[in-house]
Amino acid sequence: MAAYLVHHLDLAPQWQWLAFLGVALFQCGILLGIVLTAAGGFTWLERKVSGRIQDRLGPTRAGGRFGWLQALADGVKLITKEDLVPAEADAMLFRLAPYISFCASFAVYLALPFADGWVSQRLNTAVFFILAVAGLEVFGVILGGYASGSKWSLFGAMREAAQVVSYEVPLGLSAVVPVLVAGSMDLVTIGQMQQGWFTSWLIFHDPFTFLTFFVYLTCAVASVNRAPFDLAEAESELVAGFLTEYSGFRWSLFFMAEYASMTAVAGLAAILFFGGWNGPLPITEWLGLNAARGPAAGWAGDLLGSLNFLFKAFVGVTVMMWLRWTLPRLRIDQVMTVCLKYCIPLSATMFVGVVVWTYLLPGGLLLHPRLGEVGERTMGPEGASLDSPGQRPGYRPTLLAASPNGAQPRDANVARAPFQGSGVPKDTVSQGLRPGLSSRAPSGLSAGESTGVARKVAGTLRVPSALTRSVRSTTVIDSPILSVSNRARSGLKTRVDKPPAASSANVAQTVSGPPKEWSP
Amino acid sequence: MVMEKVDPSLVEFDVRTDEMLVNMGPQHPSTHGVLRLVLRTDGEVVSEVTPHIGYLHRCAEKIGEHVTPRQWIPYTDRMDYLAGMNMNLGWALTVEKLLGLAIPERGRHLRVIICELGRIANHLVAAGCYGLDLGSFTPFIYCFREREKILDLFELACGARLTYSYITVGGLVADVPRGWMEKCEAFLDQFEPVIAELHAVLTSNEIFIRRTAGVGAMSAEQAIDYGCTGPVLRGSGVSWDLRRDGEPRYTQMYEGYRFEVMAQVDGSYPKDEPYPPVPPAAVLGDSWHRFFVRMLEVVQSMKLVRQGIERYRRAPGPVGEPIKQNQKLPQGEAYLETEAPKGQMGFMVVGDGTAIPWRVRARSSSFCNLSVIGELCRGCLIADVPAVLGSLDIVLGEVDR
Amino acid sequence: MINWHTFFFWLFALASCGFAVAVVLANHIVRMAFYLILSLGAVAGLFFLAGADLVGAMQLMIYVGGTLVLLVFGVMLTAQGPWVTMKTGPLQLLASWLVGGSLLVLLVWAAWSVPDWKGRTINPHAEAQPTASRLGLGLTGVRVDQLQQKDPVLRRGMSGYLLPFEIVSVHLLVVLIGAAFLARAKKRAGKPTPQETHGP
Repeated sequence: MAAYLVHHLDLAPQWQWLAFLGVALFQCGILLGIVLTAAGGFTWLERKVSGRIQDRLGPTRAGGRFGWLQALADGVKLITKEDLVPAEADAMLFRLAPYISFCASFAVYLALPFADGWVSQRLNTAVFFILAVAGLEVFGVILGGYASGSKWSLFGAMREAAQVVSYEVPLGLSAVVPVLVAGSMDLVTIGQMQQGWFTSWLIFHDPFTFLTFFVYLTCAVASVNRAPFDLAEAESELVAGFLTEYSGFRWSLFFMAEYASMTAVAGLAAILFFGGWNGPLPITEWLGLNAARGPAAGWAGDLLGSLNFLFKAFVGVTVMMWLRWTLPRLRIDQVMTVCLKYCIPLSATMFVGVVVWTYLLPGGLLLHPRLGEVGERTMGPEGASLDSPGQRPGYRPTLLAASPNGAQPRDANVARAPFQGSGVPKDTVSQGLRPGLSSRAPSGLSAGESTGVARKVAGTLRVPSALTRSVRSTTVIDSPILSVSNRARSGLKTRVDKPPAASSANVAQTVSGPPKEWSP
Repeated sequence: MVMEKVDPSLVEFDVRTDEMLVNMGPQHPSTHGVLRLVLRTDGEVVSEVTPHIGYLHRCAEKIGEHVTPRQWIPYTDRMDYLAGMNMNLGWALTVEKLLGLAIPERGRHLRVIICELGRIANHLVAAGCYGLDLGSFTPFIYCFREREKILDLFELACGARLTYSYITVGGLVADVPRGWMEKCEAFLDQFEPVIAELHAVLTSNEIFIRRTAGVGAMSAEQAIDYGCTGPVLRGSGVSWDLRRDGEPRYTQMYEGYRFEVMAQVDGSYPKDEPYPPVPPAAVLGDSWHRFFVRMLEVVQSMKLVRQGIERYRRAPGPVGEPIKQNQKLPQGEAYLETEAPKGQMGFMVVGDGTAIPWRVRARSSSFCNLSVIGELCRGCLIADVPAVLGSLDIVLGEVDR
Repeated sequence: MINWHTFFFWLFALASCGFAVAVVLANHIVRMAFYLILSLGAVAGLFFLAGADLVGAMQLMIYVGGTLVLLVFGVMLTAQGPWVTMKTGPLQLLASWLVGGSLLVLLVWAAWSVPDWKGRTINPHAEAQPTASRLGLGLTGVRVDQLQQKDPVLRRGMSGYLLPFEIVSVHLLVVLIGAAFLARAKKRAGKPTPQETHGP
């Protein structure tokens, strides 16, 4: 996105840094907007849901019949409260703790895609990054509990830390299962895999992934400290646990962090298991809102997709709220028992099951073409894997196999294959939150560049790679070992073992001549 | 998971963490009043619980030496304030025993109806707050929703929702208004499915069972030694209910009524009404059984109310007449224990010939029930303390008087 | 004009070094642990800047999210009092300066004498390599990081890291189990205690 800005505004080199700053701030702004709206909206939703479950109404006065301004009223109230730091508290840590919690929760959104290409940082290791950063939230809790200077807070903090850290293990294991099925940790790729009908959702891929979702749900609820795992906030036992001494704005930050985390894990579940921005029905296809029809249509399609994704996250959060208001609380030793005796063995078993399943039935359960087709389509001229890295050659999930072009034209105006009405996998260049538009390097590259091959972003458009992840270079994977196994598995008839077409050193130079037309 | 109770002195740790003295209360969301529990804990394991009471002591017994028995009735309301009617009944029966009064049949049946409704109301609070202690917020609201309906009935009868002073020495203050019995029957009819709902949300809930089964298990001998009564005693398998086994002046109030005493005898509860199965993890005398006894008693109380309504309709006449304010009490003393919802509530009155008693005494059921908490909580986890305390169902107004 | 890469590099570098110094100089024990968290978090930031997002995430997950949680736990539970007065005698101070200083000198000298690291400016336009797949392949024996190795003998000898990885994992598991076993609560051979019920 920054590159786009720089190009279109024709910024001189000395002002380019401003463009990047602006883009970074813009992305932060959007994410903050989403996070804070979610947090605020979910406090309202929680009160409504809890009210209805408890046979009462919930807020009905602030802002009309449904009390939808209640969240705002609560926010204003909390901000205007007295800023209280207990005398025995460690002031610095006490003040810092809520911010740590919130920042950790917020950082998860950096890698969470809302639609195809609509992701702040398209990370190659997005799932891993999310799990790593989400686990940092526990520091805010521990330090908050400790720094409050009260035994009760310390208790709550200890129990919470033990719980969150223990549940990271089965959470990770169950998150790895769809990664295994998809072959990539890149969330955009995982989402792209699930285009079309709900039958392509990973949760319906095989029974092990189906069961894994429920283990994931349990572990996700535990890792965000919601009932029945909410000992840290156990009101009736420890007053408020580690939150005892917090009031006003700091308290609200902890809660925003909690709601942000809930939304994040629900969003992660939506992408990993429920197709992300791909709906149960391919509505964007029916409406023709895809990139093939132009940038505006593509953008509208992606907008619908992001709304779909947010809706799924919202449903996940509602389920968590439902659980909270229905079930009693588990004791800490029972929480640990559930983790160590049930969740970990279950998730490990599911993991093994999925491994066996994908080995024996790589095509998945439903609606897949013959693998021979898949293999041929995905292999380009030099045996180069043409998709984003991290995918195993020879194995492609169904709908991406419908990419019509081995060497895909760069821009989005590609003839869409009628096969299953699936979409073209979007270009792998992450342009920040600017989806749909093809990133056309203005100089020297024609429209026929193959997607998967590393792109040169020409001339002045080079961006510091650290800030915006630009073109993914392909890892050309043509090792003897893998090709043998792939051949055996996918029944490819003709594969020539070639020496690696590109090594890591000259990956940037593998632009190969004029565009290649694909002929079926 | 059943916590094995190991004598703490036998357990050796290589890595020692410090013991902490942790204070639960007096302001605390789950201690049913102003109760201070001092826990000696090592990490999560509690080695000793010491209750400190007296925060709600209001010198009721001393005041009783300065007011007439009828004037003392409001003080009984405020002891077990969740079951005020039953407190009123205990005191009224005691003074009637001293005076040798009998009350008309209609009054007797109305007293049964009112007291059993009071029992249902009390057990609803107990169940709801128990769920709340364990983190289950919704049954609390459901129970209080139903309790509101009972309180509406009481308000129609006597004008008050919490501190009734309705059952008085000599009968009741006034008869219930027209249509009250029909409303009462309507309430009972709509209440039955709610009980099933509460069973589903609490009694048979897997997490609830895990939190309460095997926790705070008490043998029958221990219960009797500590003077525990009511559901706490019956939860340990002792089939003892003053409505059936008490003294004649009290049991004749229930004469002709059919009900079962809910205690697990020979491995099962009396089966006159269907009830959910006892989970295998539950040990006789643990918190789950104490809670379950209350749920079963609610059903029995409903039966009693229906029978009471039927008999009330067939018994004409007054419901009783309060004694005169300056009624002189004869020399002597009378002590009577009644089966209040929380246990056996005893009242004693010593008369000295004047209208004002020489001494009054209230033997509180919650006081004795609370005393066993030190024994039950040894070696349990901190989260088990509210579970045990909730199952004992104490109210500090009664403990402190 | 700000080169953001340089800016963030300096930020993270100063943070990690600064907080590392703060760990040594602080005398409040929980704050020491906290500064260590920040320091290692800044190191993770440096990893991300260098394009190694997998390693950066691993640093966050394992070091910061695992090891340091354990550290903070231990510190919180066993600290006798929060403010630790650690008096270091002058001899100890001198010794620490000598040892630490010489290590620093050695490291800097070693770093300076690597020819590859000298005189090379960072190519700001270099693209980040996606690390996960390369690492994964390297793990299983497909050494895409050594593709330039032409010598067939040496190529045949290159194997993946999977075996040492598994060995280390099992080793760690054994250590964990051993630690848990050592720290368990043991029951002394019982002296029979009379189970008395105390009177009310």
